[in-house]
Amino acid sequence: MPAVTPALALIIFGAGAVAGGLGALLGIGGGVFLVPFLNLALNFPIAAAAAISLTTVIATSSSVSAGRAGKQLINLRLGMVLEVATAAGGLLGGVTAQTLAQTTVQKLFGVATAVVAIVMLGRLGRRNVILDPSVEPGLLGGRYYEDESGGVVTYRVKRLPAALAASFVAGNLSSLLGIGGGVIKVPALNAWCGVPVRAAAATSAFMIGVTATAGAVIYYGHGQLVPALAAAAVLGVQFGSWSGLRLGARASARWLKVLMTVVLFVMSALMFWRGTQP
Amino acid sequence: MSPVSPVIDVAGQPVSRLETILGRVLRVGVTASSLCLAVGLALSLAPGMANAARVLLHAGIIVLLATPAARVVASIGEYVVERDWVFVSLTAIVLAELLASLLAAVYGRRL
Repeated sequence: MPAVTPALALIIFGAGAVAGGLGALLGIGGGVFLVPFLNLALNFPIAAAAAISLTTVIATSSSVSAGRAGKQLINLRLGMVLEVATAAGGLLGGVTAQTLAQTTVQKLFGVATAVVAIVMLGRLGRRNVILDPSVEPGLLGGRYYEDESGGVVTYRVKRLPAALAASFVAGNLSSLLGIGGGVIKVPALNAWCGVPVRAAAATSAFMIGVTATAGAVIYYGHGQLVPALAAAAVLGVQFGSWSGLRLGARASARWLKVLMTVVLFVMSALMFWRGTQP
Repeated sequence: MSPVSPVIDVAGQPVSRLETILGRVLRVGVTASSLCLAVGLALSLAPGMANAARVLLHAGIIVLLATPAARVVASIGEYVVERDWVFVSLTAIVLAELLASLLAAVYGRRL
């Protein structure tokens, strides 16, 4: 396990701030940036990197959801249903992480981030909003006010089994790779299940706290979480996402997505390459 | 805590009591854990404070990990009050999964 020095704490705080800032700007958690940095640049074991990243996921999920409570964006009922699947995935991922070789996890990270990058590319410039207030939201659907549409948006949830399956996979990868898993759930909920992207993102952000906890507890119990470094990362990510949210209104989503796709492909390639090294 | 009042949101729906309660649980948890972690980290870099730092850092991590779990417990409580047994069961399953990961953390180490 890495030794804690003031310099290392500062570097991790800075990395957390960058990951949190990018995450807030892009509407994703910063785990996809933080894990490769800790694993490749600082040479932490992948389990230690994933454990630190998961604590930042929990902190981000909790503070973002606390800030959003009362705005009807979070679909609590849908979130609670899907949590059954993400927490199961998280638990399984945390257990499997203890048995997999570091190089296997690195290759998996490479493949998963490449898929995410391709999905992001395919969704450039897409705005998926359903505007039909006459629709009844049903048992799991929702209704909220959206500025961009200038009205109340109502949606129903379609294909619940697909949403459950995507949530299980997202939970599994979340624990294993130390990411939030929103990059898997949000496109799935949006494209397959009819959930508007803003509601999907808010609901996913609400769920990932529970998902990441299922995984983080296992790493913590196995002594793979260094509390001081997790503290530096959590504080850095909190600071970064706070700053990112203030910058967010001014930044163009399109070039940010292009930038993120490029970064994701680079990280994917680096992690995969490292995974193939003996 | 002040009583939860029925607020009407922009979509013309009452904000659910559950959402307000969960927001509070999350805010309290994340604030408490961030404070412990910040003070603990500062102390761990100061000489001679290693023990206090250790206690605060572990406390911060435990509060952080307990926050989503507390949110799940609060959901179960509110669904019981609402007599919504389907959601009582679903959230109870989630809590059971979190407890299972705690068991995996405690016993997995000895395997």
